[in-house]
Amino acid sequence: MLDTLSLMGAGFLNALTPINLLMMAGGVAMGIVIGCMPGLSAAMGVALMLPMTFTMKPETGLIVLGAIYCGAIFGGSISAILIHTPGTPASAATAIEGYQMTQRGQAGKALFTACYASFWGGLLSCVSLYFFSPLLAKLTLKFMSAEYFWLSIFGLTIIAGVSSKSMIKGLMSGALGLLISTIGLDPISGVKRFMPSSYFAEGINTTCALIGLFSMSQVFILAEKKIKARAQATKFTDKMSLSREERKILRPTIVRSWIIGNLIGILPGAGASIACFLGYNTSRQFSKHKEQFGKGSIEGVAGSEAANNAVTGGSLIPTLTLGIPGESVTAVLMGGLVIQGLTPGPELFGKYAPMTYTFFAGFVLVQFFMLGIGLLGCRGFAQISRLSDAILIPCVTVLCFVGSYAIHKNIMDIVVMLSFGVLGYLMRKFDLNTAAVVLALILGPIGEKGLRNALRTSRGNISVLFSSVVCWVLIALCIVGILSPIFMNKLEKKAEEEATGVDPDDKKPVDLDIDND
Amino acid sequence: MKMKKTDIGVVLFMYAVCGFFYYHMTKLKASSQTYPRFTIILLFGLTTLYLVQMLVNAKKYGVESGVDEVFAGFQPRQFFFCLAATILYLVCIYFFGFYISTVVFMVAVLLFLKVPPLYTAITVVVIVGLIYFAFQKFLGVKLPVGTVMKALKK
Repeated sequence: MLDTLSLMGAGFLNALTPINLLMMAGGVAMGIVIGCMPGLSAAMGVALMLPMTFTMKPETGLIVLGAIYCGAIFGGSISAILIHTPGTPASAATAIEGYQMTQRGQAGKALFTACYASFWGGLLSCVSLYFFSPLLAKLTLKFMSAEYFWLSIFGLTIIAGVSSKSMIKGLMSGALGLLISTIGLDPISGVKRFMPSSYFAEGINTTCALIGLFSMSQVFILAEKKIKARAQATKFTDKMSLSREERKILRPTIVRSWIIGNLIGILPGAGASIACFLGYNTSRQFSKHKEQFGKGSIEGVAGSEAANNAVTGGSLIPTLTLGIPGESVTAVLMGGLVIQGLTPGPELFGKYAPMTYTFFAGFVLVQFFMLGIGLLGCRGFAQISRLSDAILIPCVTVLCFVGSYAIHKNIMDIVVMLSFGVLGYLMRKFDLNTAAVVLALILGPIGEKGLRNALRTSRGNISVLFSSVVCWVLIALCIVGILSPIFMNKLEKKAEEEATGVDPDDKKPVDLDIDND
Repeated sequence: MKMKKTDIGVVLFMYAVCGFFYYHMTKLKASSQTYPRFTIILLFGLTTLYLVQMLVNAKKYGVESGVDEVFAGFQPRQFFFCLAATILYLVCIYFFGFYISTVVFMVAVLLFLKVPPLYTAITVVVIVGLIYFAFQKFLGVKLPVGTVMKALKK
């Protein structure tokens, strides 16, 4: 206990260095910009900025990525409130009440509520991050080769179901990623496998694949659509504040949404887009002012925003402890972790504990930056959210190119990134899951080593894969993982139906440039 | 849910990937075949399962093209221009280096997408400046100079 407390204290001291503080501010601002632009997503932003973290210390790099993540989730609410277009799917529910408030001339109050609730949602989510992560990480100490194999399969079954309309297509995407991950030298015998040139000896560069699948593919998605002028962001003159009475009303809403968002975040397979609707619905159910819902309720805005930001801390728990990201953004974040040479699990809380606790402390401080930058820069960010896709297309392309080149200073990396960009575009067009491919590229080598080492030690006896209780638990979790999307889809549909009063399957497609990744 | 004809392409692509990897896998040592074989069987099995689901859906609910849904609002001229420009950009970087290629690429795409010249100029300056300071100065990344530029310098 004392050790943990001293690690926490040291973490804060490390996080408070000028470079880390600068990176937090920069990351949050960048994240808000990315989040408030309807054409860009949080996953895309984190992937795009990943190469910039290579030369940084691991903790600083992770803090930047965490800052972009939190900033982007909050940033989505700015365009949701001011132009009725959620910057990210996580703010879809915020648009319902937020835009109503804007129309009533209360845009300032709506933005303050979003910022205030996001801050508390994010901050409270750090509590569970601090306390549950080390406990869960200890569990992985019991893992042997066979367990690691099943863990990689579990990770894939979880992510495959996320944001896929068809579960089988999600699993197919995961299997395709596993197959691609076999390109390169055999990790056990060193034999060349599926290599057109020696460039692929170390396998497919995960960062290039990440940038291609999440960022470059988004450029192609933007390029195929007619360029439209975005709606004018409402200029607001009302004060950005809440009265003491209003803050008191919001307190229970924020606490409820924190619990919901945190649980949703911890559950692999669920994400901020589900949490925002659940948070919104719960705030309505418990509200003493139900009549205000649909006309611009601060409780509705707070319910949605506290829940989606509470997801951030929660979703880091399975990512850092088990190496199982529950959604696209955390899959990219985990890529950042692996690229730094770190493996999720007990090592992060043992050998690398100072680094991990610095990241956690940074994550706490990021919430304060989000509050400050969010409140001070709302008006400016609102104008940025109007930036045309015509400008975004070449800018993001150039950043994808320079980002992938910066890794090894090799033009072949750009070729790989571009190939994955085209693959990602086609996959998204045909409802395949790009996040599953990314995760398979990360988990594939872990699973392969686990499987082959287990078979080698048992002299080829396949029963070794079913020899321990942990194996059976993981197999059961795989089955749950396969079935969870059915439950999650129903939950999301129900929450959205309750929030909007329209069956999501029946409504006409709304012209929102939101990215489901 | 009706079967979409566009999904036939997905199934064929997956089978082609399986075939390609299987062909090359057979050339590997037996011990190196274990994991690729497992993944090929997995992908093949899942694709076949999806094919069966498609056929069941076709029988139950009928068949639809799916093209309208997949390519709704597709702007072929704009898309293929951007795609071609991106590929050309890559080639230009190899020959003429990063900065020259970036300026040409950005100006060409921005003007094609009807961004006013003033905004085009501002965007190019901001992005090139950002990359110069963030990547070259701050991170110390040496961006490609290009073979032609290298030869000219010599």
